[in-house]
Amino acid sequence: MSATTSSLTLQRRFAVGWLRGSRLRATITSLILGAICLVWTYPFLWMVSAALKTNVQVASGAGLIPPSPQWGNFERAWTQAHIGQYFTNTVIITVSTVAIVVATTAMMGYALGRYDYPGRKIVLALYAATIFIPEGYTIIPVFDLINRLHLNDTLFGIILAEAGGAHVIFVLLFAGFFSQLPHELEEAAIVDGAGFVRTFAQVMLPLSGPVIATTIILQFMSSWNNFMLPLVLTLSRPELRTLGVGMFAFQGQYYSDWSGMAAAATISLLPIIGVFLALQRHFVEGIAGAIKQ
Amino acid sequence: MARAFAAPVLSERLYAARWCYVFMLPSFGLAILFTFWPIAASWYFSLLDWSGFSDERPYIGLANYVELIGDPYFWQAFGRSFLFMAVTVPVRLTLALIVAIVLNDAALRLAPLFRTLFFLPVVTTSAIVGLLMVFVLSPFNGPVNQALVASGLVGRPIDFLGDPATALYTVMGVSVWKQFGVSMVYWLAALQTVPPEQLDAARVDGAGRWDLLRYITLPHLRPFAIVIVLITAVSALRVFDLVQTMTGGGPFFASEVMEVYIYRNAFSVQGGTPRLGYASAAGVLFGLTVMLIALTQARALRWARQARGDAGLRQ
Amino acid sequence: MRMMKRRDFVIGAGAVAAAAALAACTSAPPAPAAPPTQTPPPNQAAKPTGAGPTAAPAGAAATGGGLTLPNSGAKLPTEPLTLRWADNAGLKAIFFKDFLPAYQKVHPNITVAYDGLPLPELAKVVPLGIQNGNAPDVFELPTGFTGAQAVQQGWAQSLDDFIPNFAQWKASYPPGIFVNGNNVFGGKTYSFPFVSNKKNNALLLYNVEYLKQAEIDPASRPLTWDEFRAAAKKLTQQGAGKYYGFLTAAGEPGRMAMLIRFLAQMAGAVGGDMNWKTGEYNYATDQYVAAVDLLLAMKADGSIFPGSASLNALQADDQIPLGAAAMMINGSYMIPKWRTEAPAFVWDYASQPVPDGKTFSPLTYSPGGSVWWLYAKSKYPEVAGDMLGYLGSEVGQTAVQQAISGAQPSVFAKANQAAGIDPLARKAAALYEQQMRLAPSPNVRNPAIAEVDSELKPLTPDFGAVVQGLFTGQLTDPSKALTDLKDRADKELDRGIKAAQAKGAKVAREDYVFANWDPTKDFLEADYR
Repeated sequence: MSATTSSLTLQRRFAVGWLRGSRLRATITSLILGAICLVWTYPFLWMVSAALKTNVQVASGAGLIPPSPQWGNFERAWTQAHIGQYFTNTVIITVSTVAIVVATTAMMGYALGRYDYPGRKIVLALYAATIFIPEGYTIIPVFDLINRLHLNDTLFGIILAEAGGAHVIFVLLFAGFFSQLPHELEEAAIVDGAGFVRTFAQVMLPLSGPVIATTIILQFMSSWNNFMLPLVLTLSRPELRTLGVGMFAFQGQYYSDWSGMAAAATISLLPIIGVFLALQRHFVEGIAGAIKQ
Repeated sequence: MARAFAAPVLSERLYAARWCYVFMLPSFGLAILFTFWPIAASWYFSLLDWSGFSDERPYIGLANYVELIGDPYFWQAFGRSFLFMAVTVPVRLTLALIVAIVLNDAALRLAPLFRTLFFLPVVTTSAIVGLLMVFVLSPFNGPVNQALVASGLVGRPIDFLGDPATALYTVMGVSVWKQFGVSMVYWLAALQTVPPEQLDAARVDGAGRWDLLRYITLPHLRPFAIVIVLITAVSALRVFDLVQTMTGGGPFFASEVMEVYIYRNAFSVQGGTPRLGYASAAGVLFGLTVMLIALTQARALRWARQARGDAGLRQ
Repeated sequence: MRMMKRRDFVIGAGAVAAAAALAACTSAPPAPAAPPTQTPPPNQAAKPTGAGPTAAPAGAAATGGGLTLPNSGAKLPTEPLTLRWADNAGLKAIFFKDFLPAYQKVHPNITVAYDGLPLPELAKVVPLGIQNGNAPDVFELPTGFTGAQAVQQGWAQSLDDFIPNFAQWKASYPPGIFVNGNNVFGGKTYSFPFVSNKKNNALLLYNVEYLKQAEIDPASRPLTWDEFRAAAKKLTQQGAGKYYGFLTAAGEPGRMAMLIRFLAQMAGAVGGDMNWKTGEYNYATDQYVAAVDLLLAMKADGSIFPGSASLNALQADDQIPLGAAAMMINGSYMIPKWRTEAPAFVWDYASQPVPDGKTFSPLTYSPGGSVWWLYAKSKYPEVAGDMLGYLGSEVGQTAVQQAISGAQPSVFAKANQAAGIDPLARKAAALYEQQMRLAPSPNVRNPAIAEVDSELKPLTPDFGAVVQGLFTGQLTDPSKALTDLKDRADKELDRGIKAAQAKGAKVAREDYVFANWDPTKDFLEADYR
């Protein structure tokens, strides 16, 4: 190899070697990660297999292969947990809640993260303070409030109660994200004649894909699985309940229907996994391209 | 950095920032209704001798707090909650960061699959996880113990959840496993903010993977790291349903963390009336103490940073 | 009663002395209960046949959902309505699977929204509903609340006006079920039992094959405590790691409390947690301490299923049909579940072990009985009354017994003779019958005791937790821990009484003392005078 090799060639050679190395590395990494994931997801697989066992077989523990698949468990889960009936409610509540939470926390995060104005610090401090309060028993005042607003026994009441709250974590994520976007973005938007709202909606918000995706996934999970709020807020109208409430049809005084519960859990988890699969590429693509400019 | 509205007069500044207030309104309104008000209400409850059920709820002043301060089970639960946080947060975040960095490799074609698999425990219902872990960790035919005994690591099976010495740590382990995916998602989101052209440029300059990580990626993560640590710490202090389903706080309170203590007093009493007022007081006292600790820490951190900054100037 | 040395119970030599000491409260030795002869033909057993021989009220019987419901003749609303019902499921839910569809078929305008909830969830739903005025129309009270409180606070209303043909309905009950201060208040009836209070989780439940192989026979007479301990050890050795001698749900404090309470009570700690003769707590008695010692000795022998401390009651139950343990102290409620899910499993019931294998003092059960309460602000009390009337009738109770295979007995003797009752259930019921006596109740003598109940705060640690702590070794001295528990329980009861008195309730510690109580006999209404 000559000493006068141009730096360009060097660079190219480096890049090729780096790529070749990365493919090998990726294969080895994949193998290792595959092994880890197998152990990691064992409990999840156990749940799916429990959904196909009898209750006594569930108690026998570890084996993953159901001796004789009990498809009837799914049927029982479907009727007993009212999955058919509760599914629509759950979708309505979850989608509305997620939409409200994303909108409100993004706006709050944008204001807090992007600008400094009188009162900002107080609001920040108030929000930060709420994260230290244990949540266990706040159900009673929340319930009281929904009643006073005459929203109990409505889907809107549940949506409001689940979307309500400070959601400090999401606000902080949005604030953190917006605070580090370059100021040129706004300036360009202002030159284009965009106002505060348009800058936010058309320039800033589209860039915050990863945070939005994170918010959607986490809020989706909590709304989808929530059972206490939907249960107590629909006391008079059981037809408004959600899947999370239905899960409790399997636990009783003397018996727990483990396999029915596993079947219901399996059914109700599929949408969450779907949402995660659909949204996770946003972590990868995200804003990386946008920032480059 | 947040941009300040430059105006000498307050009213002008308020007007200039009018859109900021409009943007805050929906979230702040909801927060007042569903966070601040319930918290205020729980402060009020904490001053009552109330079962949460009857119309009778006499005001008893600070008597609940006085009783709490003398209640060893409260302080033990308090300690366990902090221990839970101190152990799980570093473990969970370090492991999740490593996995996130590995998964962030563009060359890894299967990354989406692995991300999903690592995320599965998060979505698995706690009630099911609790049930399952009793079988998986059982000293009788549980696969974990079978593997441990077969490999000669332990002489006889460990009763992970039933032995007071291991119960809390076992729950911590399961909690790390279950919540790992959330931390991974946070780190993955944070990793996207590392500008790729910086990485490319460094690569061209001959930087190795380790250098890239150390000098470009990690420094970029720092602002996110503070938020992520905070979020994780808070979620660790609030751990509830996993503990409740796996051990119920037992055996004999060995794994009773604060939320379980509160729950036991408010909703799950045996042989006596529930004590919602007392449970509320426990929540308030715990929250205030945590906040105090956090504030002190933040002060100390700022002080340390300032001290370092001053030293830097002097050089 | 003469003081007994606690080691007597564990070490064989002392058993005779203990027996002598127990003579005071001896009743007939428990002979094995032969299953009643009339085992129904299986085809009849499988299908509920509906109305029994007692006259169903006039009118055509209507059929629906495989269950035939008599026409109650009640005038019910005809508009579409939803009746809400919340309880703790269990055996009730088994019957409701037949009953609710049948009822809704007869009354197409009525939808029953039934919630079988775990107790902690019930403890949130019912109070929130009551505060808000929209509690379920029929509810079960969460733990920590008595019917007296529910009535006093105006949560429940009486059934008198809503159960069809109420007087006749009430009169059909055997004596001793409707008791002032329990389910009757101010002369009005508020609730009734779903199954008899005369049942327990105190039987020896065993794997027939394992005990046969080990040549242990708990059926001809109860095992002594020493035999029991030796049996558990032998069975464990025989199991060679595949199964263990004894299993207990040590992860659930409530079950640990039951185990020790039953062992101690049959050993002579009359009344269970409280000795009604003296009104003193029994926690620190020799029998309680000895029962704990027995448990610890069995643990030290390695005879107890190793994962016990992390099993709750339901998880522990599930291990038995899998053959993971040979014996447990439990009841008969799991019969329907095991019959369907582990049809090949063979188990049996016998009397629980008693120190000398002969003498025992009876277990107690409380007078009255209640499970459902009719919400005071229910919009459809007549619908709820119609359903409750059926559930509390002999016909309804017979259908219940058929549906649950007699897993827990009814208060109606005739219902207990229903077709489809499992032979094991009959055996268990015979043991309950033989070993249980009606206890006195302070609430019955003085309904104002409800005020004390409202004042009582839960003990930390309570009895169950103390036993669990002793079992896991977190507490080391049984005698000391149980004495401490007794002191705390005494102090709290005295404080509760004082607090109730301060509010004007006429109560005293003497209300807990029944000097004329004979533990070997039922304490009947006349005995309160």
